[in-house]
Amino acid sequence: MKAYYGKRATAENDFGYNWIPKITDDHSFFEYLYAIADGKMDGMFLMGQNSAVGAPNSRFQRKSMAKLKWFVVRDMVEIEPATFWRDSPEIERGELKTEEIETEVFFLPAAGHAEKEGAFTNTQRLLQWREKAVDPPGDCRSEAWFIHQLALRLIEKARASNDLIDEPLRALDWWYAEDEIGEPKMEAVLAEINGWHTDHVAAVADRGPHGGVLFPQDRQGQSHHGPQVADYNELKADGSTACGCWIYSGVFNRDGVNKANTRQSRDYLGHGWGFAWPSDRRIIYNRASAKPDGAPWSERKKLVWWESEKWTGIDVPDFKPNKSPDHIPKDGQSGLDGQRGDAPFILHEDGLGWLFVPKGLQDGPFPTHYEPLESPVRNELYSRDTNPVVNWFTRGENRFAPPGDPRFPFVLTTYRLTEHHTAGGMSRFLSHLAELQPEMFVEISPELATDLKIDNRDYVCLVTLRGAIEARALVSRRIRAMQLNGQTVHQVAIPFHFGTAGPLRGDAANDLVAISGEPNVTIMESKAMSCNIVPGRLPRGAAYRDWLDRYAPQSGPPNLHPEQPPPGAPTGGKFSRGQGKHGKAE
Amino acid sequence: MIGEGTQSTNQRRHNYVRENVDVGFFTDPTVCIGCKACEVACKEWNEVPDDGFTWSGSSYDNTGRLGASTWRHVLFLEQDRQKGNQIVGSSGDGADPFRWVFLSDVCKHCEEAGCLEACPTGSIIRTEVGSVFVQNDVCNGCGYCVVSCPFGVIDRRPEPLADAGGAFKCTFCYDRQKSGLVPACAKVCPTESIVFGRLDDLRARAHERVRQLRENGYGDAQLYDPQETSVRGIHAFFLILGEPEAYGLPPKPEVPTIYLRSAWLSAFATMIAAILVVFATFFFFA
Ligand code: SF4
Repeated sequence: MKAYYGKRATAENDFGYNWIPKITDDHSFFEYLYAIADGKMDGMFLMGQNSAVGAPNSRFQRKSMAKLKWFVVRDMVEIEPATFWRDSPEIERGELKTEEIETEVFFLPAAGHAEKEGAFTNTQRLLQWREKAVDPPGDCRSEAWFIHQLALRLIEKARASNDLIDEPLRALDWWYAEDEIGEPKMEAVLAEINGWHTDHVAAVADRGPHGGVLFPQDRQGQSHHGPQVADYNELKADGSTACGCWIYSGVFNRDGVNKANTRQSRDYLGHGWGFAWPSDRRIIYNRASAKPDGAPWSERKKLVWWESEKWTGIDVPDFKPNKSPDHIPKDGQSGLDGQRGDAPFILHEDGLGWLFVPKGLQDGPFPTHYEPLESPVRNELYSRDTNPVVNWFTRGENRFAPPGDPRFPFVLTTYRLTEHHTAGGMSRFLSHLAELQPEMFVEISPELATDLKIDNRDYVCLVTLRGAIEARALVSRRIRAMQLNGQTVHQVAIPFHFGTAGPLRGDAANDLVAISGEPNVTIMESKAMSCNIVPGRLPRGAAYRDWLDRYAPQSGPPNLHPEQPPPGAPTGGKFSRGQGKHGKAE
Repeated sequence: MIGEGTQSTNQRRHNYVRENVDVGFFTDPTVCIGCKACEVACKEWNEVPDDGFTWSGSSYDNTGRLGASTWRHVLFLEQDRQKGNQIVGSSGDGADPFRWVFLSDVCKHCEEAGCLEACPTGSIIRTEVGSVFVQNDVCNGCGYCVVSCPFGVIDRRPEPLADAGGAFKCTFCYDRQKSGLVPACAKVCPTESIVFGRLDDLRARAHERVRQLRENGYGDAQLYDPQETSVRGIHAFFLILGEPEAYGLPPKPEVPTIYLRSAWLSAFATMIAAILVVFATFFFFA
């Protein structure tokens, strides 16, 4: 709170807690997409994403964009969301008309990764700093610049108003100094994330530049804060410290070393290269590398061990430093003390690793097998075909074929090519990459090609209930038919990088993919669905819709799958539609 | 080598040009992942233009062949054969075998180079490190080299450039090497399928690799480094699985100039015959 609101956050006003915007509903990606489609959301900023190509049901995504009142797209090249209103399959097919679209589209040029500095993090929890190699060309700027400049302008507007709703903006402590091109100093942001003492007069014995105070001045040249905290153990709840994000605390403390920007590994775990949150711990639950008695299981792979009454090792111990291996909790002890000294998985209340997961997972306690939401075969393991707590996002534009639907006899999967990067904004537009994979194709086995009477390089159409695309047939023995429940099922595979903007033109694989959400973190099922293949070219223009209606009827009930709930019914897990409003799914 | 980090010969700085050390490329398809980073790095560094956006339908290969604007070319080979001890077919009994092999092809920098022999302007030279280099400001674009390369490597651009002669091929990143840098393709290869280094070291290493592979079920692993023919060995040599023809590599490449002797002899004989005929005719009518 002190990092958000600075001096304005006091014990009296509960450190400004009430200024923080509250979550009013599920605003995850697919939920707000539906809100846009239903006209319930006015505007959107799209940064570092190309949902007109790279998101499931991209045809529906593009059509929904036309319902926005304003739409800010920032990218290095003019990607499809920036041009959907004048150059998209929907415009060509007459499903959208430029003169009828009221969306105000702003396209802003973005800096590339070599043109901006800052930290990035990964699933290994490693924070690594990237230095700027060159200034971005022309008006291209980093995302940080954009957010910073937007914040400055919004704060200025809020100051000019006395509407109560603008109070949180007026209260913001937006202090970051800028460089010559208006980019905020990213190391100052990192220093704030690390945290500092709010009292300007240092109360701690300091080292490092400015007596341990990093970036001491705000944009007006005023002294802004005191010395950095060493790590999160130094943080206090009384307002005497501020910290942008405790897990990263220690990354840039009062020794003045930006640890995200270090590049000298000292050991085989890579300490000295970047900073792993929290506390530069490289492997979580590393107590498990030692036997119950505290000696390493393996001399070669040892991480931490119990020595002279404390935990020590190559890695930073993920354990209470002085909790002995034979610690047995006494009655009434709780928290970390309530766990045994030989229980390494400290985030579970019993400190043990779980194979049987009684809580937390929406679809626990054991892994099991359900068929994909669309499948040519039935589930041999259960009477149910699909996961009972999955979120179907039932909607007319997002239909699923029932199991074994004869109209969609083939299994379709999607994948990536090394030559292209996700939705292609950073690769399709570059000639040296574009020439290596210049056209949309579908990989088909020789047997299926014979059945369909098609040759290598022929054009074919792929169709699902969501849409249809055109691709060249790449006939290869790499693709094999599957034997499922005694039945031969053919599988085909498509890359997903193509779209209509830039030097290559190809249909987007995601036009075929449905929106769905597995119940824990709402990841869509984009790797398995059922489709049909029709040899020949896909009709262009208005003829597309009649063609699509012939192979994938677009009218009728939206829930064709027998296990699919009707629209609006409660489905799914923790974060999904209906959970907050209707309680747990059946 | 992979695992040596910045000390790998693919990464560390060197002095080969100043020391007149013969260098080479050893390309090993058994570790190539077909990422084409080598093709892209080559084009980026050497400012080679794209070849057009044409989809070939031939596996993942849309570049086709080495040429004036493709100096590294990753070949994608789909064969009905087994790869090493790979388990194929649903029963794992070896029936229905199939393999996908990637090989990054490049100019071979021959010991006895057809292009260099044929070049009438002296544009093509041999460098301190034993590579074959086209000096574009000397080249006049006659194209003799194009037909003289036994591997079909060197080629002319469809549209000649204003400030350079006609013929182009891999430069072995001679400009980088002069500054102690590793050629761009080897530098970026994530698996060290392309290894750059001293030719003698590479040859030793390649033999060891073949031995290792054969021991591990790759019965058809062999080196492609024709030293018995008039080419007398190549500086960019390859490990291959199976026969060279499958990779578009001639099993017995020859430098066309070896036919010069017989060509001159027959030309001489023809000339004598012609003179005799002329004289004979003269006497006949006299
Ligand atoms: S960079 Fe290396 S791994 Fe990638 S295609 Fe070239 S040779 Fe193969």
